[in-house]
Amino acid sequence: MTAPAPPPAVRSRRWKDRIGSPVNVVGAAAVALVLGAGVIAVAGGNPITAYADIVTGTFGSRSTITLMLGEVTPLLLIGLGLAIAFQGRVWNIGAEGQYLVGAVVGGAFAILSPVQASVVLIPAALLVGTAAGAAWGWIVGKFQAVWGVNEVISSLLLNYVAIFGVAYLVRQPLRDPDYYLPQSKLIPSAARLPDLPFLDVHAGLLIGLIFVPVVIYAMGRTPFGFKVRVLGMNRDAARAAGIDTNRLIVKVMMISGGFAGLAGIAQVLGVESRLNNNLDAGYGFTAIITALLGRMRPLGIVLSSVFIATITVGGDIVQRSQQVPRAAVFVLQALFVIVLLVADKLARR
Amino acid sequence: MIVVAPAGKGGMLLEMEGITKQFPGVLANDRVDFDVRSGEVHTLLGENGAGKSTLMKVLYGLYPADAGEIRLRGEPAAIGSPSDAIEHGIGMIHQHFMLVPTLTVAENVALGLPTGSRVRQDLRPVRKRIRELSDAYGLQMDPEAYIWQLAVGERQRVEIMKAIYRDVSLLILDEPTSVLTPSEVDDLFVTLRRMTDDGRGLVFISHKLREVMSLSDRITVLRGGRVTGRTVPDETSREDLAHMMVGREVRLAPSRIEVETGEVRLSMSGLNVAGDRGAPAVIDLDLAVRGGEIVGIAGVSGNGQRELAEALAGLRPVESGKAAMGGADTTDMTPKEIRRLGVSYIPEERMRDGAIGDFSVAENLILVDYDSPPMSRRGFLDFKEIEEGCSDLVERFTVKTPSLDTPTSHLSGGNIQKLIIARELSSDPAVLIASQPTRGVDIGAAEYIHSVLMERRAQGTAILLISEDLDEVIGLSDRIAVMFEGRIMGVLDKEEATVGHLGLLMAGVADDAA
Repeated sequence: MTAPAPPPAVRSRRWKDRIGSPVNVVGAAAVALVLGAGVIAVAGGNPITAYADIVTGTFGSRSTITLMLGEVTPLLLIGLGLAIAFQGRVWNIGAEGQYLVGAVVGGAFAILSPVQASVVLIPAALLVGTAAGAAWGWIVGKFQAVWGVNEVISSLLLNYVAIFGVAYLVRQPLRDPDYYLPQSKLIPSAARLPDLPFLDVHAGLLIGLIFVPVVIYAMGRTPFGFKVRVLGMNRDAARAAGIDTNRLIVKVMMISGGFAGLAGIAQVLGVESRLNNNLDAGYGFTAIITALLGRMRPLGIVLSSVFIATITVGGDIVQRSQQVPRAAVFVLQALFVIVLLVADKLARR
Repeated sequence: MIVVAPAGKGGMLLEMEGITKQFPGVLANDRVDFDVRSGEVHTLLGENGAGKSTLMKVLYGLYPADAGEIRLRGEPAAIGSPSDAIEHGIGMIHQHFMLVPTLTVAENVALGLPTGSRVRQDLRPVRKRIRELSDAYGLQMDPEAYIWQLAVGERQRVEIMKAIYRDVSLLILDEPTSVLTPSEVDDLFVTLRRMTDDGRGLVFISHKLREVMSLSDRITVLRGGRVTGRTVPDETSREDLAHMMVGREVRLAPSRIEVETGEVRLSMSGLNVAGDRGAPAVIDLDLAVRGGEIVGIAGVSGNGQRELAEALAGLRPVESGKAAMGGADTTDMTPKEIRRLGVSYIPEERMRDGAIGDFSVAENLILVDYDSPPMSRRGFLDFKEIEEGCSDLVERFTVKTPSLDTPTSHLSGGNIQKLIIARELSSDPAVLIASQPTRGVDIGAAEYIHSVLMERRAQGTAILLISEDLDEVIGLSDRIAVMFEGRIMGVLDKEEATVGHLGLLMAGVADDAA
């Protein structure tokens, strides 16, 4: 799998490496916008006003900004975990499954917990969800370490195990017997994540933002981050230097899965009212695009998750204002990544 | 085909005059004059990056020259592509063979030749001609053998056959001996001599001074894109040639002092290691290295040396037998555990196992010690210590780099190797496993690396030196073990080791049979 190169140097004084060739990103954005304009035009819209609607529509009102930040939260959290994995060239495609497992296990814990005091319940549920996501990632890491199973395949397929597993859980064991619909009981109000002051966005966003400097520091300044980057650059050299690459891959998968699980349980405690099939909203897949677009750097992922969230919210707005199917707008997301990958290849010539 | 017909021996075949080729930032060829007469071997000698390859690529039509003229048989020739070169009767044998492994010798030779019929190709005349030429040039070749069945030396003969079959008048050989045993080299030289006897001209590109001295009629030395010397073997010596290549006095044989050897620090007994495809690569190997001793392992590449080094470093599982270092049984240890015993490892594939091209010099220098003081403390990398420690290493081991933040891939091969050696020796290892420590490294850096190894020996390190360069093995080692097909054919003391004797062992001829 090809992807933008992970950031090469800690503390590099080379300007280009610190920023990560911004010319590429800007150039790729321009090309993608032009291509996307073609798609929108074919779909019967006016590209220029459509783009304008996306921006003004999303940032024009408090409620749409709230919607957008609500989209940012899971993308940012999952994206940070993927950034760590991708920097180590551990291609975790299983964030969707890890997210769902974190959401369902953490959510079930919140529902079933005998203790219902918020001070205990919220942190405990967050931890359980994170641990469940990490465990789902651990499976992938172990498969790779013990049998050499490619992590792309196993993590991808485990998504479906998680998706259908959740479908089963909400139909059978977790189902609220009082209702016909396949859904769990209500998430107890004591487990609700509080909203941030001045915004109607739950505290998950804050957690994500707190983790941004933590990940930056961990990757750039600790032996662990160094090891992961060595792993990503050259596994043979990592082994020759004495790094236990198998163990490291397992760890990286657990961290990456843990972030996805945290995103899942935060979504459940902050947004959803019950566990049901709607949990499967595709954030785990979109976060891959977010991480690649953010060039696997935490700050880049902050920007790219805002960007993707804007397209998501703006896509709905354009659908209403111009009768362009929102799918035509979503094509932009993929176009951006593809054009960026090509730009990276060209830059390396 | 417009073949330049071989005229009488000594006639001028090729003249290259004032060839200049500029690459961004590098003047690869600076007004280089070079010529070849028919019937001679003209050697092009120089370090990596001296401009040998560029000059030959200009001749072969792969690069256009910025200035200068090429004349063939006195006529100006425009060579714009390899097919022009081939039409002019110029052939080139690349370091990496251009053969199709799933085809036979005859099919490979016939590839690209006009067939006469568009529908079917009749290989019978090709096979017949190959047999004739094979006899005439002593190539011993079965035209119906498949390439994949052939050993490296035989494949090279197929390349030569292709050239002879096309009746080239000028043949360029790019480092042809790097894959051969000493006896195969002798055979190759016999064949090459027959080709010059026919009036062909040969360009021999090499950096192996011993071979250059024995094969060449004339020698042209390049350094930094310029001709720095023209000579003939009778009027020069290996030391003089090295001087011309490097631009200063070079000691080809490192000075050695008597060292009291200590206890056994590295031992292998009954060691068996499998290769990448599961076949045995190292078989029942017994060897011991004492402190203060360099034991060399000679052999043609692919006879189990790489697998042996990897097994000792903990990178490849040991099937059976035992490896011990510093008194501990390391057979089943991880690379990290082995390193903790004071074992350092210089891997054969520099850019695969030894260093990370996209990492900075400093990052590569801490590749092993990043997680222990002084490089990191309390769970964080200590950048001040890293910078100080790395500056010190760069200085001590004379790594030429613009800065510690320079990406390692921007350094020359010799400097990358020095960087790896600096890292591996910074911990004062008790045992050093050095695999091909000077392969592809310029003479100056090789000289330095040799002196560093001798210094470690004097300080009591047990050194296992694995090398395909016989001069290196003979020059450095106290004892020399020769590996052939995974086994040790014999262990010779420094005093009894000659190139001839080692060559026989390298070819698999056991001592009692020799």
